[in-house]
Amino acid sequence: MRGRPNLYINYKKETAILSTNTQKIWFVFMIVFSIAMVFIATDYWILLLTTAFLIAVASWGLNIVSGFAGQISLAHGVFVGIGTYTGAVLGGVATDYVVGYELDMIIWLPLSGLFASLLGLLIAPIAVRLKGLNLGLVTLALVFIGSHLFSNLKTFTGGAGLGRKTAKVVLFGFQFDDGFNIGNVILEKNQLLYLFSLLVCILCGLGVKNITRSKTGRAYSAIRDRDIAAEAIGINLFKFKSSAFALSSFYAGIAGSLLFTVSGGVEPGTFNLLYSITFVAIVIIGGVGTVLGPLFGALFFSLLPGTIQTVIHSLENFGQGFALSSGQIERVIFGLFIIIFLIFEPRGLWGIWFRLRNYFKAWPFSY
Amino acid sequence: MTIFLQATAEGLALGAVYSLVAIGFVLIYKAMDVLSFAQPALAVVGAGLISSLAIDRGIPFWISLILGILLTGLLSLIIERTFLRPMVGEPVFSVAVLTIGIDILLRTVLDNWIGLSPRYLGDPFPNFGNFGSITLNGVTLKYLEISAFFTGIFVIIVLSIFFKKSKYGVAMRATSLDQEAALAQGIDVGRIFGLVWFIAGILASMAGFFITGGFNTLTQFSFISALRALPAVVIGGLDSISGAVVGSIIIGLTQGYVGYFQSNLETLIGISLGSGFSLLAPYLIMFAILLVKPDGLFGTEEVERV
Repeated sequence: MRGRPNLYINYKKETAILSTNTQKIWFVFMIVFSIAMVFIATDYWILLLTTAFLIAVASWGLNIVSGFAGQISLAHGVFVGIGTYTGAVLGGVATDYVVGYELDMIIWLPLSGLFASLLGLLIAPIAVRLKGLNLGLVTLALVFIGSHLFSNLKTFTGGAGLGRKTAKVVLFGFQFDDGFNIGNVILEKNQLLYLFSLLVCILCGLGVKNITRSKTGRAYSAIRDRDIAAEAIGINLFKFKSSAFALSSFYAGIAGSLLFTVSGGVEPGTFNLLYSITFVAIVIIGGVGTVLGPLFGALFFSLLPGTIQTVIHSLENFGQGFALSSGQIERVIFGLFIIIFLIFEPRGLWGIWFRLRNYFKAWPFSY
Repeated sequence: MTIFLQATAEGLALGAVYSLVAIGFVLIYKAMDVLSFAQPALAVVGAGLISSLAIDRGIPFWISLILGILLTGLLSLIIERTFLRPMVGEPVFSVAVLTIGIDILLRTVLDNWIGLSPRYLGDPFPNFGNFGSITLNGVTLKYLEISAFFTGIFVIIVLSIFFKKSKYGVAMRATSLDQEAALAQGIDVGRIFGLVWFIAGILASMAGFFITGGFNTLTQFSFISALRALPAVVIGGLDSISGAVVGSIIIGLTQGYVGYFQSNLETLIGISLGSGFSLLAPYLIMFAILLVKPDGLFGTEEVERV
């Protein structure tokens, strides 16, 4: 079927993860390009990209529960926090005031995801009982309960204002801190973490794509579109809403446990209301209910500080001062983008990309 | 007993302040089906405007209070016109997230203006009596709290008369019942939306003044107090004004009692609840009530069909 990329001769081909040759080529190209970034980009950008990949994983989690299954959750940041602290307790070093077991990453990484998803399962019965805004409001209460617990469970989190060190990154006995040599190129901890996050990001992304093309994914969409109708055609609401919350929290837990190993420490105040809302905003800016959207959103959100820094630096060379600090500019732009995207492009960055792609696909014809 | 009275008095004053914000929430929700997360931001922006007029510009306090409140109402009106109007008919949650975006915008600009040191509002309340408070039978009452309580009652009475008697009040009730029917009766629904936001902005900025006035001062964290009106609205039911008032009083009293009796409570149940538990208690109550009655205590039940 050469030259007819949109002609599918069987269902299996149509629902394949990468259904066209172009997609396959781009997928491989992007992976190779991302790996090559380790050798090209400076440490600062490597750090930003690492957080971008991990935030993308967490945002995919929110997208599963809010974008695919249509259940509003404003408490996603809390689950990221639970993942972070599970990882920190299992993999971190014990001190006088916090516990830590110094386990291997192969143990604490899955466990922090599982523990978060266990707690996610706990709020699932609420989600079955409530819907729409009321569910959003209950999860808002969860944010405050979560941050209260984080600041007061001092043996696990170090307490408000102090915080604790995160897990040590040791995979199968190999210390990421030691670095790794390929020939005469030395990969340091940050670069190794970058590659590992890239791997986690790819696996989780494929996982999300897999959910969308499976029975579970179709059940989620049915629940999102009309939950009463979905129940009428035999979808078990309790089962699927619970699994959506569990999966979403699993992604959040995995992302959270790795996210703060980049900086090495974490303070309970991080997981406040704004942190949870950030994920909602990323999903909206990226594109709700799409696979690539959260990745776009996360890249946008994480690379924004770097871009602003660069712009401010180049402008300051001309002797111009700013009324707002770079952090505040970041928040203003972020707030503005939420508003602009909701009003003008509800499908987010993914929608823009989709229209661009279709424009070039059909070029020189308009459709 | 004295402590109990003290806690009750403070709780009632808090409840009055919360009910100002809460009524704004409910008005907006009833008129446009929008849950506005921007209300707490409007409250602190109002306080900021008053402070900047009274302290930075040197305008007499009472004039700047009225000016600040009116300006916040105007700001709220502008927000509705520019950001909310294009979103009519969009999913409820998208609009709610949009108001979060507005909240981030407003508060970032305000935080930059506040800076690190707390701002005074220039009100004369701290000068009355003994550093702004009076002691009756061992109960210390702040003049600011007393005036907050009576302002709350006054506003509720004025609003209920407004809704019953005035032309625009009746139009607002008609709009909240059925937008299309209201349009067919010749009511300018767009103007009603604007009016609702204007009133909500005024109420929010009044609450903002009582939250940050006197020795409370305006800081970057003042908005969290205003945000506590949200559980109040949810407890009462999103579409009931009397519910909002009852919810606010419940939240205010809870916060007062838990604040004063937390140590007794801890010895009773034998676990430490942690510092700042009184600020968390409203959310726990909201959590519990939503599970039992998803539409709040006074809210109308939603009937859904396929």
